[in-house]
Amino acid sequence: MLDNGKITPMQMLLLLFPTIVATAVLLVPSVTERHAGRDMWLSPIWAMLAGFAVVLTAWALHRRFPDETLIEIGERVLGKAPGRIVGIIYVFFYWHAGGMLVRQYGEFVSGVFLMETPTPVIMGGMLVVCAYAVRGGVEVLGRCAQIIIPAVLGMYALLVLLQLPSLEPGRLLPMFEFGILPSLKGSIVPQAWYTEFIAVSFLYPSLTDRSKGLRWAVFAVLLVAFFLTLTNLVALMLFGEMAGRLVYPVMSAARYIVVADFLEHLEAFVMAIWVFGTFVKIALFYHLLVQCTARTAGLSDWRPIAMPVGLLILLSGIWSVPNLQEMIDVLDSSSVFELVSVQLAIPVLLLLVALIRGKKAAAAEAK
Amino acid sequence: MGSWVRNLSGRPINPLSSNMRADPRMQTPLSANLGENESLLRALYADCADVVFRRFAIGGGTNALVLYIDGLTNIEELDRCVLAPLMLQTADLCAWPPSGQPAHSQRPPKTAEPPAQPAQSQRPPQTAEPPVQPSGPPGQSPGSPDPLANLRIPVSGAKPVADIAGAVREISIGGAVLLIDGRPGGVAFVLSKWEKRSPDEPKAEPVIRGSREGFTETIADNTAQLRRKIRSPQLKMREFEIGRLSRTRVIVAYIEGLADAALIEDVTARLGRIDIDGILESGYIEELIEDNPWSPFPQVLSTERPDAAAASLLEGRVVLLVDGTPFALVVPTSLFSLLQSAEDYYQRFWISTSIRWLRYLFFLLSLLLPSVYVAVLTYHQEMLPTTLLLSMARSREEVPFPALVEALLMEITFEALREAGVRLPKQVGTAVSIVGALVIGEAAVSAGLVSAPMVMVVSLTGIASFTIPRYSAGFAFRMLRFPIILLAGTLGLLGIMLGVLAIIVHMCRLRSFGVPYLYPLSPMNGNAMRDIFIRAPWWMLGARPLPGEPINPRRQSGGQRPGPEPGDGQG
Repeated sequence: MLDNGKITPMQMLLLLFPTIVATAVLLVPSVTERHAGRDMWLSPIWAMLAGFAVVLTAWALHRRFPDETLIEIGERVLGKAPGRIVGIIYVFFYWHAGGMLVRQYGEFVSGVFLMETPTPVIMGGMLVVCAYAVRGGVEVLGRCAQIIIPAVLGMYALLVLLQLPSLEPGRLLPMFEFGILPSLKGSIVPQAWYTEFIAVSFLYPSLTDRSKGLRWAVFAVLLVAFFLTLTNLVALMLFGEMAGRLVYPVMSAARYIVVADFLEHLEAFVMAIWVFGTFVKIALFYHLLVQCTARTAGLSDWRPIAMPVGLLILLSGIWSVPNLQEMIDVLDSSSVFELVSVQLAIPVLLLLVALIRGKKAAAAEAK
Repeated sequence: MGSWVRNLSGRPINPLSSNMRADPRMQTPLSANLGENESLLRALYADCADVVFRRFAIGGGTNALVLYIDGLTNIEELDRCVLAPLMLQTADLCAWPPSGQPAHSQRPPKTAEPPAQPAQSQRPPQTAEPPVQPSGPPGQSPGSPDPLANLRIPVSGAKPVADIAGAVREISIGGAVLLIDGRPGGVAFVLSKWEKRSPDEPKAEPVIRGSREGFTETIADNTAQLRRKIRSPQLKMREFEIGRLSRTRVIVAYIEGLADAALIEDVTARLGRIDIDGILESGYIEELIEDNPWSPFPQVLSTERPDAAAASLLEGRVVLLVDGTPFALVVPTSLFSLLQSAEDYYQRFWISTSIRWLRYLFFLLSLLLPSVYVAVLTYHQEMLPTTLLLSMARSREEVPFPALVEALLMEITFEALREAGVRLPKQVGTAVSIVGALVIGEAAVSAGLVSAPMVMVVSLTGIASFTIPRYSAGFAFRMLRFPIILLAGTLGLLGIMLGVLAIIVHMCRLRSFGVPYLYPLSPMNGNAMRDIFIRAPWWMLGARPLPGEPINPRRQSGGQRPGPEPGDGQG
């Protein structure tokens, strides 16, 4: 085994949760509103199905190959050379996805808080901290998530609580004005985000209690759906359909809060939620990239490549898109195909091939 | 399961003999020839003015020698209970071997023919041939007679000494060694007595309610204090001797059946690796056995309080007592035990719980307050309510420094004042505090060098760091606030968050003797958390708090919630 650290099922949930929520919580209202309009609160629930599909596929693969990640499963199922190609696809995918993620974080922080600080400095600072965590292995990541995510949830709950007075449920009406179709359309991009749950395939083998893996993964999907729906509901009840025109509606919502003329401008909370959540997500993607690289290249130890890989993520973050507008465009269009094909189609393909070949093998054994 | 308990493997070590860099002379057995022994010991203790050699004759016949170190041994007792009865004894009582008991396996000196001794006339055959040497350690073999046999010496603490090393050890801890001509081996009398401090209130960990006695510099008193608190024979104390020259006694105390055997083995293995000339304080040991030597956080808890040490023992931890210091070490430890005080368990749980929360809050303040102040003033002014912002701007009007420089200046001054106050003699200390209050308070503000809010922030931070009950932990956080102030000055709130993340990651990587530093928060243990976020009342604290598979998981029987008996007093 390359990384024989162990995490508890709850730590797995806490690692998976920010994988979707950290990025989605800022963007989901504007992205879903574009297609779903007033029904945008429903879109994350539709999209949840993609999450279940991914989690179940990963579980089915895990049951067949308990100690292996997608990389080894690919080689085992498809054969040496095609399996390598699958591995290389995942390496490049996580490299690109990690870079985009770091870039999103950099754009958000430099766009809202530190306008004059160069984005690469902001991205680099985060990557240094992530590298330190990644070098500790999955065990350290799990423990960090266990400290950080409950705090993030607490801050988020506080934010929602403070917005309660200004919410107007009337803005939800009329529901389903154009039928169910708009909310389905709105779920396309979030669906792609949910496929990021494929990370679970790399976490299942590290679980202390594997029998509980599926239960907690499904719980993670439900929790994510709950949070995205809540975010959309709050954004909708606060801004109405204007939510779609704001880049970061949650951020704008936080600016709205004034409690007792003293507690105001709670952007710091949003930034803390975002930075802490994204930290866990970046660290997880970084970890996956390091693991994929080491496993595809057949290295005996992954620690030496942890630092150089971080530098590569930084470069990919700088190179992948020229500016924020283009990034939003990419996230809205081509990245959907990228995410779905790599994170859903390939695992399903692997599972199908495994099922077919597995049956063949069973038949051959019977003869 | 206990997956986070690292596999604690270590080579077993031999207590007491570790680190004894052998001088060949030390291994020489004490022969039956008194003159020979004496000359060897005199050579070893040449130029040692404090070592007393007293030759005398037992009952006017057999020659004997008493050896002790002046000032370590109770001379009156020695005179009254050893010298007096021996000198007055009649010679026939000193016959060796005592009649009716065959003497055997006495090792003759390796040199030529042992001098003929009248008492050794009944030498057993196996020692007749010099080449045949017993291969075992030069100790008292089970069959050998008690060297005290037929001597009437009213001293309870008497142990046989077989070789020079043993004699040296006994003398150095205040014993008196008696060597008798014609008898191989010697006897050490435990008559140690030296000037020592009586146990008084622990200076570094005072409590309002709780025991007032602290450990002292004498290890025997400290073990006695532990034994008085835990009287079961399950409380074990293994002794080690560490330090080539200092030969410091170190006691590893644990409760059998509670402490993990792997943990004890790990502790003894780590102690066994220590090879140093002297151990003068438990801090030496602490730095030589911790898991991550580069971490700013203490991974070993040091305590002056016997009750805290006893509580740790009952939790399945291991306590290290070191001779010469009142500070005992407790391993494994976690961040949360460093944020707890012994008194938390003595006060009512409501008090303890709220004080714990107060402590957590101020612990965060001590780390973050100055940096948040700097970040908000430098980058995020819009976060302040307008009136507050205006009043701050007014107070900073005349200040010539940016907030970052101001904060660093004041924080460093504060640290300097604190250090000066600790180090100076008490009388001068008050002067320092008066001058300090003037310098960092009134004068600096009225001179327009620093703003009044900054003074408040600095003093609040200082007070906050003193709410952490363990000095070493408080210091770690006080020290870490400087890099965070710098980060806040360069990256604003983001810098603070990155700094905090780095600290969290570091703590998540840290272990203390196999136990994660943030346990039981992460990895999470719901039962143990009852003693973290709240201090649950005693009848709810049933589970032992260490991770892994506890040998004896419950510390009390359930269902002890007190209350009136049903129907009692209801009329």
